[in-house]
Amino acid sequence: MTRIVVVGSGVSGAHAALTLLERGHNVEVWDVGRDEAAFPEQPVSFHELKSSLADPVGYFLGPDLGGIIPPSANELLRYPPSRRFLASSTDPLWEFPSDSFAAFGSFARGGLANGWGANALCFDENDIAGWPVSISEMDRAYATACARIPVAGPVEDELSPELRSVHVSQPPVELTRTDERLLRNYLARKTRLRALGVRLGRSRLAVVTDARRPDACAYCDRCLWGCPRGSIYNPARSTLESCRSRGGFRYVSNRYVVALSSSEGRITGVRYFDTAASQVREEPCDAVFLAAGALQTGAIFLRTLKQARVDLPAETEGLMDTAFMKIPYVVLSRIGGQEDARAFQFNRLILGMVTESDAWPRYLHGELLNLTGMIYYPLIERLPFDARFSKRLFFALKPALGAATLFFPDKISPSNRQILLEGAGRWESVALRYAEPVEKEDYIRRAVGKVRQALSKLGCLTRDPIRSPPGAALHYAGTVPMGNGARRCDGNGRCNLFRNLYIADGAAFPSLPSKSLTLSLAAHATRVATHAQL
Amino acid sequence: MPNCEPRPVPFPLWQIERTEYEAICDYLALSPNAKLYERLSAYLACAPFRFASPLGFARFLAELPLTRFRVERLDFLTKSRFPGHPLRHALNAIMALHECSSEGYRELSEVPRGAATIPALAASGAGFVWRLLLTIPWLGWQGARYLVGAAPRGAASLANRIVLVTGASRGLGLDVLLECLERGASVVAVLRREDSVAGVRALLPPEAPVKFVIADLALSGALPEALQRAQIAPESIDMAVLCAGVKHDGESVLAVARLRDTFEVNCFSAAEFAAWLCGADHPAHAPANPRQPRPAPATTSAGANRSASARRLVLVSSIGRWHGMRATCGYNASKAALSIWGESLDMELRGSGLAVTIVEPGMFESGMTPRSGLAKLLVVPRRALASRIVSAAMAGRKSLRPPFWFAMLTWAVCIAGRGVRYRLFTRVKPAGGRDEPPAR
Repeated sequence: MTRIVVVGSGVSGAHAALTLLERGHNVEVWDVGRDEAAFPEQPVSFHELKSSLADPVGYFLGPDLGGIIPPSANELLRYPPSRRFLASSTDPLWEFPSDSFAAFGSFARGGLANGWGANALCFDENDIAGWPVSISEMDRAYATACARIPVAGPVEDELSPELRSVHVSQPPVELTRTDERLLRNYLARKTRLRALGVRLGRSRLAVVTDARRPDACAYCDRCLWGCPRGSIYNPARSTLESCRSRGGFRYVSNRYVVALSSSEGRITGVRYFDTAASQVREEPCDAVFLAAGALQTGAIFLRTLKQARVDLPAETEGLMDTAFMKIPYVVLSRIGGQEDARAFQFNRLILGMVTESDAWPRYLHGELLNLTGMIYYPLIERLPFDARFSKRLFFALKPALGAATLFFPDKISPSNRQILLEGAGRWESVALRYAEPVEKEDYIRRAVGKVRQALSKLGCLTRDPIRSPPGAALHYAGTVPMGNGARRCDGNGRCNLFRNLYIADGAAFPSLPSKSLTLSLAAHATRVATHAQL
Repeated sequence: MPNCEPRPVPFPLWQIERTEYEAICDYLALSPNAKLYERLSAYLACAPFRFASPLGFARFLAELPLTRFRVERLDFLTKSRFPGHPLRHALNAIMALHECSSEGYRELSEVPRGAATIPALAASGAGFVWRLLLTIPWLGWQGARYLVGAAPRGAASLANRIVLVTGASRGLGLDVLLECLERGASVVAVLRREDSVAGVRALLPPEAPVKFVIADLALSGALPEALQRAQIAPESIDMAVLCAGVKHDGESVLAVARLRDTFEVNCFSAAEFAAWLCGADHPAHAPANPRQPRPAPATTSAGANRSASARRLVLVSSIGRWHGMRATCGYNASKAALSIWGESLDMELRGSGLAVTIVEPGMFESGMTPRSGLAKLLVVPRRALASRIVSAAMAGRKSLRPPFWFAMLTWAVCIAGRGVRYRLFTRVKPAGGRDEPPAR
């Protein structure tokens, strides 16, 4: 029997594994597989937790208050201290030194999908321009992915023409009073806003909202803090469970894959670090699907490449991330308004900026998020007044406050890549080199200007945008991209150098569109696993 | 014997008293909460290891006790001009902590809704402007106070430096240890007994960068051996403050065994440590050879840059070293030896990049001295003395004799002649030393 190893248990790994199982293969998913601590179970609201928890201070700010954001820090929001799925430079397994790219990853079961924003969007023909993949092929894969992932959203709205491959199976999430006001304002001024190229619609979210289901969203305002009902899609809970229900599946944790062994253009074994025994081991295999996230996949590929082909530079073809900008705004008519007692915490509205030409990118994705449940003191601290006035001002404005987050697409650029470092450690580290392309700046400036204009027409007062540092969006891609060349893979994710190595995650994307990529990761993994020649 | 000395507040620059917390709560219209205050105190105890310490005028402002009036002045000032100021961290943490309780959140978020919102905001805005107007003259006054008192201050950072402190279990040594930690140093704390470690640890947050070394300085060669065992390299030490000392009150100078112990701890242990610090191949450590030409002042970068940033050896002597004293078993004699030996060492080390600061404290607060009345005026608080010692060493000062008026008085008595000293000091009661009982 062919021994197939899928590396990683995030969206890509889970969907690749499930597709391979559906094809009748035996599959092993290898993963570091750390477990997250359980969330407080009762679906009480965010603010109700403050009276229902035994130690709310420890929960919200961390046991040693290490979660307090210092006054001078350039941060408004952090992942809650209770969430432990993220890994960065402080993690002993994290080996991506960089001064220019603040990268994060996850060694948790389910990967970064443990804390994703739930936006489920699909790429269109313009988005995948230059990919060696047809849109009809992608659409078929989206249909499979959407059958596995519940998507809540409207049947039809202003953004439907741009998101036609998203198959909605759940009613849209409920809006807050401020969302409703913005949507009303949009419908009243639709013509002028469309002339700007800006469209507003309800979010497409991977959330169960059908109230008949026991895991339906309880609107407890705790999405970021860990959904107590599991309403938000998490591959560790659903897709991996579907894998387990089939014969021939094996989930193996405590394995941090370092590199692959190869011979005559074929992968013959997987070298991994046993995190329980603290030892490097190796096991033979017949085919490998790399789905460890674009950074880890790129690192494994480089270490493999170095052993197999000393004539090739130990650098990836690319490294991409969607830079994002946050434009804070105040909905003037909502100042001093009543607040919603319960809400879905993530963005309930999305915004699309569409250009009429076919130039790439035609579509720019934005998310409108007005504040509901969160810890507000960092925002109060940022107001340019003393604390006494700032807190009064903030809470008077709070029902009206929001931020539009714009995600800017990225392309493969020669200056942006992963580089294998020589080192005497357990294995080689991989440096991340990244610089924002200059031509992107003009695009960002124009887009931000238009969105601010649009927000103004929606009755909002905007402030200067806040830009994310490179790497902060966590939408990494393009380290082993599709295309021609030894360090690339083909249109079906098969590596050009090694016949039985498949790139099943975003590492294979040759460009990075603006839209949230989780659904596309699931679709890509499904497609790669479907076409794999095993 | 149980140690009845009150436990010092580890980092007073960051810590706020309960009354100060209540003043801040009053200002923010929050109800004080004892449990939240405890969490705040624990958070601020970790502050020196998480945030940069304020310097200069910001530090001066951080030393002011907080009242409601001062909080009003300092709030906007720290937000706009001194973002890393301890008050800023305290205000930020208080809002964060209160936001996590349902009552605190209700109080924080209480604002009029609907039509009343705008007038209420206008009134709050006017209040802000009024507070701002009052702040301007107050700031001028504080600026003038700072300029007048700035010279003896000095609060340079010890970030990324390693400081060794002996006698660090209590008294002045403990205060020097806390002062160095507050300024960002990593500290090697030398204690006599293993069981003292827990007491010092209990004062500090877990992240405090302190390495403990156990050595009884009464035993010849104990300190260098202990440092070697702990794998501490001499060149890693940027500053050493030798606070350990012993004083056998009531014992005659003829109690030779005790006298030897006094000299061993107060003088010879310093010599042994200095030899270790200089390294075996250092000229200062080589046997004296008058025919050998004296090494020229070093022209290496270390020698050329002999300045406040050079390595310092701080010897804590005593103002009592200027005169004899009955029934202290040679304590004053040992301190006189230490001062003169330290001065000699400093001469030998010229140009080596290591220099000696000799501290001869007079009256300073022992922790058991009540802080009131005349004592408050005349006596140097022990933590302030620790701060001055560290600042003086960093500034490259050769000697420090706080309080200066007491040194002048001592010298006047000395100049008056032996007869005066005899008549004066034979009347001093045996247990009535001016220094606090030293730790070793």
